[in-house]
Amino acid sequence: MELNNNGQERIKKAALLSIIPGLGQFYNKQPFKGVVFLAIFFVFIIQMATFGIEAMTGLFTLGVTPGQDHSLFMLIEGSLQLLILAIFLILYAINIYDAKRVATLASIGIKTNKSFIDIMKNVYQNGFSYLLALPAYAAMIFAIVFPVLVTVLTAFTNYDFYHIPPANLVDWVGFDTFKDIFFLSSYRDSFMAVLSWTVIWTFAATTLQIVIGVFTAVVLNQKFIKGRRFFGIIFLLPWAVPAFITIMSFSNMFNDSIGAINTQVIPLLNHLPFIDIDAISWKTDPFWTKIAIIMIQGWLGFPFIYVLVSGILQSIPEDLYEAAKIDGANAIQRFRTITMPAIFAIATPIFVTQYTGNFNNFSMIYLFNEGGPGSVGAGAGSTDILISWIYKLTTGTSPQYNVAAAVTIMISIIVIGISLLVFKKTKAFEMED
Amino acid sequence: MSTSTIIRFENVTKQYDNDAAVLDNVSFEMERGKFYTLLGPSGCGKTTILRLISGLVEASHGKIYINDKLVNDVPANKRQVNTVFQDYALFPHLNVFENVAFGLRVKKLKNADIQKKVQEALRFVNLEAYENREISEMSGGQRQRVAIARAIVNEPEVLLLDEPLSALDLKLRTEMQYELRELQRRLGITFVFVTHDQEEALAMSDEIFVINKGKIQQRGVPTDIYDEPINRFVADFIGESNIIQGKMLRDFVVQFDGKEFECVDQGFNPNESVEVVIRPEDLEITTKEKGHLKVKVDSQLFRGVHYEICGYDENGNEWIVHSTKKAVVGEEIGLYFEPEAIHVMRLGETEEEFDARLEAYDDQGVENGN
Ligand SMILES: Nc1ncnc2c1ncn2[C@@H]1O[C@H](COP(=O)(O)OP(=O)(O)OP(=O)(O)O)[C@@H](O)[C@H]1O
Ligand SMILES: [Mg+2]
Repeated sequence: MELNNNGQERIKKAALLSIIPGLGQFYNKQPFKGVVFLAIFFVFIIQMATFGIEAMTGLFTLGVTPGQDHSLFMLIEGSLQLLILAIFLILYAINIYDAKRVATLASIGIKTNKSFIDIMKNVYQNGFSYLLALPAYAAMIFAIVFPVLVTVLTAFTNYDFYHIPPANLVDWVGFDTFKDIFFLSSYRDSFMAVLSWTVIWTFAATTLQIVIGVFTAVVLNQKFIKGRRFFGIIFLLPWAVPAFITIMSFSNMFNDSIGAINTQVIPLLNHLPFIDIDAISWKTDPFWTKIAIIMIQGWLGFPFIYVLVSGILQSIPEDLYEAAKIDGANAIQRFRTITMPAIFAIATPIFVTQYTGNFNNFSMIYLFNEGGPGSVGAGAGSTDILISWIYKLTTGTSPQYNVAAAVTIMISIIVIGISLLVFKKTKAFEMED
Repeated sequence: MSTSTIIRFENVTKQYDNDAAVLDNVSFEMERGKFYTLLGPSGCGKTTILRLISGLVEASHGKIYINDKLVNDVPANKRQVNTVFQDYALFPHLNVFENVAFGLRVKKLKNADIQKKVQEALRFVNLEAYENREISEMSGGQRQRVAIARAIVNEPEVLLLDEPLSALDLKLRTEMQYELRELQRRLGITFVFVTHDQEEALAMSDEIFVINKGKIQQRGVPTDIYDEPINRFVADFIGESNIIQGKMLRDFVVQFDGKEFECVDQGFNPNESVEVVIRPEDLEITTKEKGHLKVKVDSQLFRGVHYEICGYDENGNEWIVHSTKKAVVGEEIGLYFEPEAIHVMRLGETEEEFDARLEAYDDQGVENGN
C-alpha cells in the first residue's frame, strides 16, 4: 500500500523516539503502553546500576584478588546478568517494533487502541496464549538455559583443581581446554580412548539388546510355539527388577576369584566334552570386562524391546503375510518386506532413544566395575564412557571441571545431533493414522 | 466334467482341529471365464472355500482340482490363483507401483518387464497416474483398485475376491460392482466373489452358490435362484419372501391359508405337505372383494422405490407386500396374485432331487408342446 510522506515521517519519528522505550508509544497516543515500557526501562537501569554493572565486569574479569574474589560466584552471577540483559534486549526490540507498527497502522488510517480497556481487551484476545505460556518460558530460562549457560562458560575457563576459588582465581582461557582435549597428547589419547569405547559400547550393547528383543518377539509370535505366554512372562523378569540391583549382583557373579561364573558355571561347562575353559579375568582384563558389560546390557535391555516389538507384530494383519505367500515370497522375504518395515516404522524413535540411553548409561558402567580396570589417563578407566568419565572428572580428588564441561558440551552435541537427524528421517516414512 | 472346467471340488471337507466340519462334503465345478458368487451368512464357510482354492489352507478330506490337476499338495504360489483381500492387505511402506510390482519382484523379473506389466495392470484399474502415490494417500476405493491390480498383474486364471466391497460406502460400492463386472469381462478370467449381500450377488454373477452351515444349498443363475428357491433358507436369504405352510392337493393345485389356488407346479405326491413362497412384489393390492386374500394392514414403511406394507390375514399369517401404491394402516385390503407367482417347495429336498424334478417337467412341457 502507498504511504504518503506524512505517514513515512510519522513512522520514522515513532521508531526514533522509542530509542528511549515508551516515548514512541506516547507519540502514538498510547500512554498506557508507554508507561509500561518506560517503567521496564527504569527497572532495568536501576538493576544495572545496583547489581548489573558489577556482575558484568565480574563475569569479564572473574576476579582480580585471590582469596577475596570468588571466581565461581562471579561466573554464576554474570551468567544470570547475561540472561537478564538478553530479556531486556528482547523487550527493547519489541518496544521499537510496536511503536513502528502502531504508527504504520495509524498512518494508513486503521484505528488503533488508545484506552487502557481497549489494550487489555486486545491483549486478552490476541495475546492470551502468549500470556499463558509466559510462566513456562520464564521457568525454562532459569531452570534449563541458565545451568546450560554456566556449563558452557565453564568449558572456556581453567576451573580445575589448581584453580579452586576462593583461594585461587579462575580465568578465561578461551578454547584452550578443547585444544588440549583434541591436540595435547596426554588428553587426546585418553579422550580418544574413552570416545571410541563409548561408541563401540553404544553400538554393541544397544544393537545386541535390539537384536535379542526382536528375535525373541518374532520367535514367540509364531503360532506353532507352545507355551508362548509362559515365555513372555519369563522375559519380563529382567525388566521387573531394578537395574542397579541386577547390575550389582552380576558384578558379584563376575568376580574373578569368588564369583559364580568362574567358580561354578565354567567348571560345570568343562564337564562337557571338548570344552576346557580357564577362569576368565572378568574384572581385571579390560577386554573381558567389556564383553561382560555388553552381554549384561543385552540381557537387561532386551525385555523392553521384546514387549514393544511383540505389540507391533500383533498389529500386523495376517492378510499381508498371506498376500505375500500367494505371490511366492519365502519366509525371509516376508520378514524383510513386511515385518521389518512395520517394526521400524513404529519403533525407530524408540530404538534411537535406546542408543542415546546407552551412550549415557552411567549405572551400567560405574556399578559393574567403576569404569575399571586400569586407566587410560586423565582419570579415565579402560571401560569408562564419556558420562562416567565426566563423573570422575568432577568428583575425584583432582577435579577438572573445565574438561568435564567441555566433554559435556560434546556429548550434548552428539546426542542432540543424532536424535534430530534420525527423527527427521523417520518423519519421511511416517505412517498414516 | 468338461474341458471348460477350471476348478473342481470333490467331496471336500474342512475341519479345524477336531471341531465340527466347517465345510461338509462339498462338491462343485466352476467354468473358465465366468463370474461366480459365494453367498451366505457370516461363518458359513465362504472364506474357507476361497482359502482352499488359493492354497492357504489344506482340505481335511476330498480332492481339489484346478485345470484338471490335483492341487491338494500344490503350494499357494504355484497355483494360477490370486486373491483380493477384504482389507486390501496392501504393504503400507511401499508405494502404489511397488505394491503392484511385489509379486513380480519376488519372481525376479527384469526391471523393464516389471515396469511394463505394472503399468498395464494399473491402466486396467484406471490408476495410471497414481504410480508414485503412497498407500496412505489413496482413498478406500483407490486402495481397492490397487489390490486388484496387484492380483491381476500376476496373470492368474482365477481371481478370488473376499468381500472386496464391504468397506466401501453405498455409492462407491455400486460403482465398483459395475467396474468389477466389466473388468472380469475384459480379462476373461474366472472370478470367485464372496459376499453376504444378496443384491450384490444377484446383480453381478453368472452363477451363485448359496451356502449355509458348510453346505451348498443351491447353485444356479441369479434368476433361477430368485424365482425358484429350493428351500426356506434360500427363499429367505435371497430377497424377502412370504413363506407359508401348504398342501399340494394335486398337480397345479395348492392349498394354503384355508383356500385352494391354481399354480404351475407339479410332480408332487397327492396331498403332500409343502411350503409356499410368494415374493412381496408379486402381490398386488386390490379391493377386499377382488383379492385372493384378505389382509389387515399393520404397518407401512416407505422404502424409496416402493412401500413395504405388512399385514395379517384372518388366520394370523403375516404378509409383506411391496407396492408403489400406498395403503392405509388399520384398513382391510385384498391381495391378488397370478398362478405363476406361487412357488411351491418340497420339504427337505436335496439339490439333485430338486434339479431332477424341475428337469422332469421341463421335458414334459416340451412333449406337451409337441
Ligand atoms: N483358523 C481357524 N480355526 C478354527 N476355526 C476357524 C478358523 N478359520 C475359520 N474358522 C471357522 O470356520 C467357520 C467358517 O469360517 P469362514 O471364515 O469360512 O466364514 P465366512 O463364510 O467367510 O464368514 P464371514 O462372512 O463372516 O467372513 C467359522 O465358524 C469359523 O469360526
Ligand atoms: Mg469371510
